Amino acid sequence: MKRRQFLADLIYGATVALTLPIQATEARVNTTGVRYLRPPGALPEDQFKSQCIRCGQCGEVCPNRCITYFGIAHGTKVMDTPFIIPREQACILCMKCGDVCPSGAIQPIKRTFDDIVGKVRMGKARVDENLCLSFQGKTCGVCYRACKLQDVAIRIGMLEQPHVLDGCIGCGLCERSCIQIPQAIRIIPDYS
Amino acid sequence: MIRHINKLRWLVLTTVFLMLILLPFIHLYQTYLAAHAYDLLAPAEKQVYDVMEMLTDPFVSDPEKDLDAIKGNTWSGTFFGFRLSDPLAVVSQSAAGLSLYWPFILTGLIPLVLTLLFGRFYCGWICPATFLYELNSNLAILLHKLGLHTGNRHLDRRFKYLVLAVGLVLSAATGAVLTAAVYPPAIIGREIYYGVALSGFSHVVIGGFGAGAVFFISTLLFDLFVSRRGFCRYLCPGGALYSLLGHFRLFRIQRVVENCNDCAKCNAVCEFELDPLRDGFGQECNNCTACIAICPTDALKFSVTIKDQPFQGSGHLGKAYKRSQESSAEEEALQGHPT
Repeated sequence: MKRRQFLADLIYGATVALTLPIQATEARVNTTGVRYLRPPGALPEDQFKSQCIRCGQCGEVCPNRCITYFGIAHGTKVMDTPFIIPREQACILCMKCGDVCPSGAIQPIKRTFDDIVGKVRMGKARVDENLCLSFQGKTCGVCYRACKLQDVAIRIGMLEQPHVLDGCIGCGLCERSCIQIPQAIRIIPDYS
Repeated sequence: MIRHINKLRWLVLTTVFLMLILLPFIHLYQTYLAAHAYDLLAPAEKQVYDVMEMLTDPFVSDPEKDLDAIKGNTWSGTFFGFRLSDPLAVVSQSAAGLSLYWPFILTGLIPLVLTLLFGRFYCGWICPATFLYELNSNLAILLHKLGLHTGNRHLDRRFKYLVLAVGLVLSAATGAVLTAAVYPPAIIGREIYYGVALSGFSHVVIGGFGAGAVFFISTLLFDLFVSRRGFCRYLCPGGALYSLLGHFRLFRIQRVVENCNDCAKCNAVCEFELDPLRDGFGQECNNCTACIAICPTDALKFSVTIKDQPFQGSGHLGKAYKRSQESSAEEEALQGHPT
């Protein structure tokens, strides 16, 4: 009886130990090793993976060529799904990808100010004040000028120092335009 | 007349395949237009721009917008406002999300109805992989003539239903549409797009052809050296779904026993190792009409029926039938004159 109990505990323990890493990777939303954004209007990450059929139409209508696709190196679950690296090419919020998406993984959003600010949740910009030139006394303000939602998503204060506001939707145009290397403003993706 | 349908089929297959190559270039052309930067393009990009402008100019007035009319590929595409999706995409998405998303399911409706009517016609008439697989079959014949060993193993045709079931179960378990990764028509559209539009894109994206291309090339080699058209016959999950949907198809190729001379050319030419000679079509026939084209006596015809005929016996123009007729005539003659 005791040996049986021991064996049962052993099997249980081994199962837990073996599944822990799987559970841990399941808990992490981003398993690709890349800081990426989903196209504007994308569903929450888990839903996106099950809804997206990997047809590639979003990239094919993107006039800005900002949408690219994961390869097998980023994981089989996200393979061939669309993503945006804002530092490479940011989203210009034309909203064509949501219109063309047949699967509903990218929901259609009208190209109006209210709809875009209200519904698009790609992420949020964050300024690294140690890197930002304006915070180092060299007035820059390029991120503010690149922003499509000036004074809603970002405002500038003294010496053109940028401050991100609640209206920021994370299109990444500021990160794309930052003249500092590495960039002093970057988008923290919102996968929820 | 009907024997020329196979040529029409090749025209359709070629058109679909060429469109899949053209569309990524059209996409590039549109992005160049959107950037308003012709003078800044590299010489190769300028060439793409010029060629695309020449090709599309007669059809569109505002290319940047009007060329959005045709997008996507054979997995899912937009065609002048109509959205068409592969039924496998619909089934896989429903499995992966364990939910039904009706706007997407409706895009699979037209292909579904066509499949219920024409069976596995997609495999023979639309699929861009078929285009390459059939050329691959011809290559196998060429290699065989040159004395190389090409494979013609026979496996179990039901294996692809297992692939379909496992693909759907895995999609449901992982919550990702995994069938898209092993389904050649989905892979080809995507990979051509990657190869044309994404190569040399950035340092994060590897760009160019991806894992799908490797997978597809391995299926070509499988067909070449293991089993002729083996992927379509034994492994393709989409082919499995279409076969199931086409079980009660309305339009089928049937044998006209009066015209048949038992030459068996139909069986030799059939890419799916079906048995037209003995009326064995079944749900796997993709209505490719290759057997109609090769039949020397016009013994194969399209007919409107939801069931295959049972085996009708040897063809009436064949030797076996004539011999049996003669022997029965002799019997009758014997019966007529008992002494």
